[in-house]
Amino acid sequence: VIEHLGPQLFNGLVLGAFYAIVAIGLSLIMNLTGTINMAHGSFMTLAGYLAFTIVSRGMPFWVALIVAPLIAVIVGVVVERTLVRPLYKRLPFYSLLMTFGLSLIAEEAYRLIWGANGVPFSGPKELSGTIGLGFMSFPTFRLFIVVVLVVAMVALALFLTRTRFGLRLRAAVQDTEMIAALGTNTQVLYMINFGLGIFLAGIAGVLAAGMLGLSPTSGNQLLMPAFVTVIIGGMGSLFGSIVGGVLIGVAISMTTLFIPAASEVSMYILMAIVLLLRPRGLFGEEGIFG
Amino acid sequence: VSSRSGLAAFIPIVGVLAFAPLLSPLIHLDISIVAEVLLFAIAAMSVNLLLGYTGLPAFGNAAYFGLGAYGAALSIKYWHVHFLEAVLIGTAAAFIGALILGPFLLRRRGIYFGLLSIAFGQVFYFIAYRYTDVTGGEDGMNVARPYLGVESAHVTLSETSYYYIALAVFVAAILAFRVIANSPFGRTLVAIRQNEPRVRYLGLDSDRFIFVALLVSATLAGVAGSLFAMNINFAYPLMLDWHQSGDFVLMMILGGAGTIWGPLVGAFIYVIGKDIISTITPLWQIFLGALFIACVLGFPRGILGTIAALTQRPPAYAEEEHGG
Repeated sequence: VIEHLGPQLFNGLVLGAFYAIVAIGLSLIMNLTGTINMAHGSFMTLAGYLAFTIVSRGMPFWVALIVAPLIAVIVGVVVERTLVRPLYKRLPFYSLLMTFGLSLIAEEAYRLIWGANGVPFSGPKELSGTIGLGFMSFPTFRLFIVVVLVVAMVALALFLTRTRFGLRLRAAVQDTEMIAALGTNTQVLYMINFGLGIFLAGIAGVLAAGMLGLSPTSGNQLLMPAFVTVIIGGMGSLFGSIVGGVLIGVAISMTTLFIPAASEVSMYILMAIVLLLRPRGLFGEEGIFG
Repeated sequence: VSSRSGLAAFIPIVGVLAFAPLLSPLIHLDISIVAEVLLFAIAAMSVNLLLGYTGLPAFGNAAYFGLGAYGAALSIKYWHVHFLEAVLIGTAAAFIGALILGPFLLRRRGIYFGLLSIAFGQVFYFIAYRYTDVTGGEDGMNVARPYLGVESAHVTLSETSYYYIALAVFVAAILAFRVIANSPFGRTLVAIRQNEPRVRYLGLDSDRFIFVALLVSATLAGVAGSLFAMNINFAYPLMLDWHQSGDFVLMMILGGAGTIWGPLVGAFIYVIGKDIISTITPLWQIFLGALFIACVLGFPRGILGTIAALTQRPPAYAEEEHGG
């Protein structure tokens, strides 16, 4: 068991990075508009399948990694403008229900287009080997995943803190009416914010398809850990989502190694503990959405 | 408001339901499907108490429904209990589940409560899914419908008599629900939905009210779940899944949130619609998803809420504005 500890720990970190990036996307959308996007996993799956189609048409993986999430973003923005937007003025619960319905339709649509069973999809050949770092060797594709996800998170953090648009976004989370009164078009803000969340989901979706497999429900399997990540890390905290995601990823991989029967339940136990000790989450701010 | 019309509707609705075993063959409907409508209606009622009345996004009630189902199924399989005992054990399992989850769920409100309900509800799904030796895992487990009462009597329950049991429980549930909704307790739940801080300033411990509402809700869902498992003679992990919770929420919203009869109307459309559409096309899920979207965007007050609005009676569940 012990010789598996290192690789399992690394796997936990990779999983954690996935959970974190999905949670960040969810959190972005939830924070600004109060929308729990139950279709988030469906957008991940969509990007995965689009990447599969792009690669199977003979184009390189790298093109798919960029183009597939962008197409998902276009679909996402159309959905936001037509279906989510009318619900902003209503109780947040309604958008939860609406996106839930959307995810049901998406799942069935993927089944119709790409088949009920999973399709084979893996990373590019250049990344198929392993890299030895002396004490242990890492699968190159998984290292690549970590690098991409970390770059995405850093880029997002810079975008939110160093650009005027990011500043407006963060201000809108604090007080939407005030930022609207000061002349910012909040509808554009909502749209771009939603697109941003979907873009992150899309990148995660393509990478996850290469590592965890691709089927009509594969994205939804990352959705529940992402919810738990948001709760553990704290709503409205980018850093919290990263810490929460890594905590859960490691907890799952460690219980898989030592107590396999508890692997799914472990994250819920973690969540329960955090809720008892710190209901707002590890890095959450008091007062955001109760 | 809706409770007065609720009482007026009681006699005709229950009257029609009492003759359902005679009527349903005329439209080629299996009586067990009608029983399913009643049991889902009870489950949707359990969501109604938390969401329609108290305003909490109860997106995890399938957990209590499934605990009821598995409580009954496991006790029948391993302890060979009778019908009533199975229902009691299933309901107790759901009640205990809410007793354990309650303190955690009560930590947050609003959409956070929704997230917590979804997430904690999945724990039971994974337990049922994982412990294959006991629960049959993904394949689920058969539930032999037990004898009614003492063993020597050996009264096996036919489909029709089982339907009448479901009807009796449904009538009891809806009467109990009406009493609860009109009691000071029920009024306080509505007050919590409208303005929880104000309720607290009045010196009422809103946490305690919500906890009791959760326990009542889980009990209703547990009764429905245990009876459902014996109706279809089967228990399976997806009963506990958040998709099932979502379906219960849909039934409630579809019928009319915060109305007495809404859950029955919603459950009727859901179950019968599924039964009809499934025979025509395998794409039921697309219809279901479209129903979700249409309901939320088109008639969020549900069928009864819309009718109530048209007849100038404000529904108990008035839409609250959300600044955002």
